[in-house]
Amino acid sequence: MIKTPDLIASLAANATPVRRLRPPVMRAACWLLLAAVVLTLLAVNQGIRPDLVQRLQEPAFAASMAASLLTGVLATIAAFLVSLPDRSRLWLLLPVPALIAWLSNVGYQCLTQWVAIGPDGMSFGEAARCFATLVLTSLPLSLAMLVMLRYAAPLRPTAATFMGSLAVAAVTATALSLFHTIDATAMILMWNFGTAVLFVGLAGVFGRRMFQWVAPRTLYARD
Amino acid sequence: MTHDARSPGPSLRLVGKDDAGRPAGSASVTRDVDWSILMARAQEGDRAAYHRLLQEITPYLRSLAARRHRDPNDIEDAVQDVLLTVHSIRQTYDPARPFAPWLVAIANRRFIDRLRRQGRTRNREIPLTAEHETFCEPAANLDERPDRRELEGMVNNLPPAQQNAVRLLKLKEFSLKEAAAVSGMSITSLKVNTHRALKNLRKMLLDRSEP
Repeated sequence: MIKTPDLIASLAANATPVRRLRPPVMRAACWLLLAAVVLTLLAVNQGIRPDLVQRLQEPAFAASMAASLLTGVLATIAAFLVSLPDRSRLWLLLPVPALIAWLSNVGYQCLTQWVAIGPDGMSFGEAARCFATLVLTSLPLSLAMLVMLRYAAPLRPTAATFMGSLAVAAVTATALSLFHTIDATAMILMWNFGTAVLFVGLAGVFGRRMFQWVAPRTLYARD
Repeated sequence: MTHDARSPGPSLRLVGKDDAGRPAGSASVTRDVDWSILMARAQEGDRAAYHRLLQEITPYLRSLAARRHRDPNDIEDAVQDVLLTVHSIRQTYDPARPFAPWLVAIANRRFIDRLRRQGRTRNREIPLTAEHETFCEPAANLDERPDRRELEGMVNNLPPAQQNAVRLLKLKEFSLKEAAAVSGMSITSLKVNTHRALKNLRKMLLDRSEP
């Protein structure tokens, strides 16, 4: 075992200048900007769903859209705050109201207006395109989130991955309802709850491993 | 860099306080300000400041670690773990905020992680006790005698070449060369026969224990 004074000396010898992290809210804003860029590019590429304006006038649709977007924003802020050591754990509760609003809204819609199959029936083409949107939105956003949160690896990996994946899931769900005509309730359920569960689950299984992969290396070999 | 623009105010204060008020016990606020200034300078690459900071926080970390760990080796390991973590995430410190909460939060996370890891290890592994000890002299290992007799019986059931190989290499623990010289078998055939013998023994012993 290396002696503590020796360790201190070698750490001090390795003290290269570092750039301080920007304030967490600003970093969250950067990530959300990236999310906005990804969504815009997808909108240019795939086109917004044709009946968006019409659907946005329905209060239930507009509310669930706003709630999922708000969940994304708040979860992002919470993820960046929780990734710092000296911020309170209570920030984890920040997105909870929006999350409850989002999920209960989706649930309520299912109860009141169950549409077993949409007007055009179930189409697997649409499901495949939905899946493509899901991957195209979530992959760059997850990777960016992972890299930006890497300092949380030795501190609160579980909480940070949980919040980060919730943010990605909420943004992805918003994207799905922006771009795709999903009428059947089962599909709405699947794409909203499914995305949330999928990302949070994936984060639970792979979060730690991924963090170890991007985590800051403690001692650099060069000196 | 922006070093000159940012630090002159705080560092003047550091010089003033450092020589006068260090030993005072009530000066935890002063200490915190000192540490946060040192850390701010360390972030800009000031090695001397960083060295001093790490030296000053070490006794403090040791006292924190002593609350959670008993074994002195554990305490020292935990302290080093915290120092390494502080080093690897030093860019997350914001000099506008107090230093001690930042440090204590990191330290607590690392201590708890260590305790959890130890708990997991303890659940999986059993330390050897006096009963597990074996002796060189076969006659002293009383517990093993019935097993031994049974094993002998099993070995006697093997074909002669395999019996020979397993006796020489495994029971008498000869090297391959010695065993080859004693038995007159080639090294390759010794290896093959030992392998087959072990496979047969495994099969026989498993068959016996299954019903």
